[in-house]
Amino acid sequence: MVFREDGHLSGGALEALAGNEDRFDELERLEIAEHLAFCDYCLQRYAMALEGGALLAPERSCQKTLWPRIRGRALRLAAGRYATAAAAVTLALTVLWGSAGVETARPVLPEDRPSVSRQLTELTGEFGDSLRGTMSGLSNFFDGFRPGQFIEGGNHS
Amino acid sequence: MAVITKERFTELVLQYERLVYTVCFQLVREPGAAEDLTQETFLSAYIHRESVPEGYERQWLSRIAANKAKDHLQSAWSRRTVLPGEEELARGLAPPAEELALRRSAAADIQQAVRELKEPYGQVCRLCLLEEQSPEEAAASLGRPVKTVYTQLSRGKRLLREALERSGRHGIP
Repeated sequence: MVFREDGHLSGGALEALAGNEDRFDELERLEIAEHLAFCDYCLQRYAMALEGGALLAPERSCQKTLWPRIRGRALRLAAGRYATAAAAVTLALTVLWGSAGVETARPVLPEDRPSVSRQLTELTGEFGDSLRGTMSGLSNFFDGFRPGQFIEGGNHS
Repeated sequence: MAVITKERFTELVLQYERLVYTVCFQLVREPGAAEDLTQETFLSAYIHRESVPEGYERQWLSRIAANKAKDHLQSAWSRRTVLPGEEELARGLAPPAEELALRRSAAADIQQAVRELKEPYGQVCRLCLLEEQSPEEAAASLGRPVKTVYTQLSRGKRLLREALERSGRHGIP
C-alpha cells in the first residue's frame, strides 16, 4: 500500500521511494508527489529516509545554466514593470490633456491650471524616480552575476 | 524568515543540487526531466528566496522539488488521460451525466464503492460524495490544499466510475 488508512504515506512506500526502487507506476508517483507537496509530516519522513542513502548526481549540473536563466527572468520582470509604468503615464497624459480627442475633466478655471501642472510634474517626477529605482535595483541585481561565482565541487549534505 | 543573499544562494545550489535532483528523479524517473526540474526548483527558490525558513532550507527545497515533480507528472497524466469533452472532469467538476447517474443509482452500491476507494481518494470522496461537504470544507477537514482536493475528487470519481463499470453493480452507461 502506498498510503495508510489515515491518508499519510506508508513507511514501505517512503522506504522504497528513498531507496530508489522503481516500483511505482506513474499515477502512484503523481499521488506521492501531490502528497509530499503539502504534507509536512511525510516530507520530513522522506527527508530523513533520504539522509540514510546515497544521493544521485545529475549528468548535467544546473550550476552553469541556472544564473543565465535567473538573469533572463529578472530582465523580463523589469521590462514588464517598465512597460506597465509607461502605459500608466501614457494613460494619465491622455486623460489629463485630452489628446485622444475625448473631452475630459480638464480644469475650467484659470486658477486650477497651476494645480494641474503641478500634479503632472509630480506624476512624471514619481515615474522618473520609479524608473531610476528600477534601473538601480537591476544594476545591483546583476552585480552578483559575474562569471566564476560558482566554485566547482561542494559537499551535498 | 531571512533574506538569502546571492552568495548564500550559490552555496545552497552547491550544497543541495544532488538532493533536489534525487527528489525530482525519484518522482519522475526520467533523468532529463529531473535535471530540468532541478533547475526549475532553484529558479523558483531564488524568486521566493525571501520566504526561506531559516534552518529548514533542506525541507524547503525538497518541498519545491516535490511541487515541480507534481506539476510535471500532472501535466503528463492529464495529456494522456483527458479525452476531448472530459475537461470538466479534469477540473474536478463531474459532468452532469455522471452526477445524474450517481443520484439515480442504487445508493447502497455507490456508497460501498466509495468506501472501497483507496487513499488518497477515499477520505476526499467520502466527505464530498457521501457527506455532501464542499471541496473547500473537505480540504479544511483533511488539512489538504483545496486545489489538491479538487484534483483528488476528480480522479476519485473517475476511479469510482471505472470500478462501478467493472463490477457491473450499477447501471452507469
